[in-house]
Amino acid sequence: MADVIHTNYFTLSVLNRFGIELGFGDKSVEEVCKKNNVDVDFFLEIVNAFIDKDYFPKKHLQTFPVKLITDYLQKTHDYYHKLKVPEIENLIEEMVDSCYTQKENIVLLKKFFNDYKQELLNHTHREEEVVFPYTLALEKAYNSEELDNSVIELMDTYSIEIFQNEHDDIEEKLLDLRNIIIKYLPQPKNSKLCNKLLYELFNLEQDINDHSRIEEKVLVPKIREMEKIITKRFTKK
Amino acid sequence: MCKATFIIIEKSYLIRKGLISIIEKIPNTQVIQQFDNEDDLKILVNFESDFIIINPNLLNANTLEIIKKIAKNIQLISLSEKSIVLTKELEWTAQIYLEDTQNSILKKLNTLIGNRETKNVKSEVPEEISKREIDILKNIALGYSNKEIADKLFISTHTVVTHRKNITRKLGIKTVPGLTIYAILNKIIDINDTGKSKS
Ligand SMILES: [Fe+2]
Ligand SMILES: [Fe+2]
Repeated sequence: MADVIHTNYFTLSVLNRFGIELGFGDKSVEEVCKKNNVDVDFFLEIVNAFIDKDYFPKKHLQTFPVKLITDYLQKTHDYYHKLKVPEIENLIEEMVDSCYTQKENIVLLKKFFNDYKQELLNHTHREEEVVFPYTLALEKAYNSEELDNSVIELMDTYSIEIFQNEHDDIEEKLLDLRNIIIKYLPQPKNSKLCNKLLYELFNLEQDINDHSRIEEKVLVPKIREMEKIITKRFTKK
Repeated sequence: MCKATFIIIEKSYLIRKGLISIIEKIPNTQVIQQFDNEDDLKILVNFESDFIIINPNLLNANTLEIIKKIAKNIQLISLSEKSIVLTKELEWTAQIYLEDTQNSILKKLNTLIGNRETKNVKSEVPEEISKREIDILKNIALGYSNKEIADKLFISTHTVVTHRKNITRKLGIKTVPGLTIYAILNKIIDINDTGKSKS
């Protein structure tokens, strides 16, 4: 497991999302996962996809239980809100404090990011309140022996198609912000802070990219398949 | 000189990676997108690229149509064993074989890139944003919708949309809040003007 982290430092945050803490000595990935009640296969696919954006075994990922997937997505949301966003806010705040020549410009960036934070919050909130519960309910109905009409009613009120259409590109604004800082923010900037901020923005953007990919290419097709099969069962009845 | 861009369509992860590592050996090249299956190809139309390298086994009735549509602007390169017979429905610029050595692949690619450059005389001068575009940008930053801007400037909504696309392409900024900051930084609008139009 230690090798995983040595290979790519960013996997630390992924380990975190699975509730795995450092201090596992020389234990293998399998041993550490077992000890932390983590599905090894799932963990490996997620970590590999995270490290390498060209690697994305979506068909395999779709075979895992919905609960595993949504739990991971949920943890990722928490990571953004509790860690990444505050980190970036602090950096911007530091920039405001340390800048004398163009405070008003940095304040603009601050407001931009503040609005973005709200947007991100709304986005993840909707997923947690509406989408994830829907997918879990659907899986339950899918796995159950009996045909319960309530799932049909549920599918009448919401569908994964709706999610697919309403799911917006939450990374766009981060890219805009990076471009503004790199290309258009007048010099002199506090370059140390500026670089750090760019680096954090870039990381968050990449992370959300990976995250949305799981939502759109794993969760959505998986649920769509379930919807189809459940509908079929009911028409047969 | 602008970059030679590639899209790779191939199922095998190993082959994609291998090919990318070879392409990356050539300076001024970039693999902008890769696909590992035919299902996702619908979005191909959204990409501008010089070359598509595709495993012909991934061509079916649907994908053939998509490729045909975009092939006018993009050069097609096949990626397969030597024994595969290519469909005559498409115009192939070159063929890369799995049996090829690295050197012969490099040679083929370099020739293609060389040919492309003599054809394309696009200059790399960064495009300035025009006066009209600044007008539009100003209104976007002030919070007006496409329709409102069209009415104000006596042009069609379609024209506004086209201007917006060009602005985004030139500045690398896509969202309204992003464009607003740009407008303020460049004194196109005053910070106190923002959001005034919306009551
Ligand atoms: Fe999410
Ligand atoms: Fe999302």
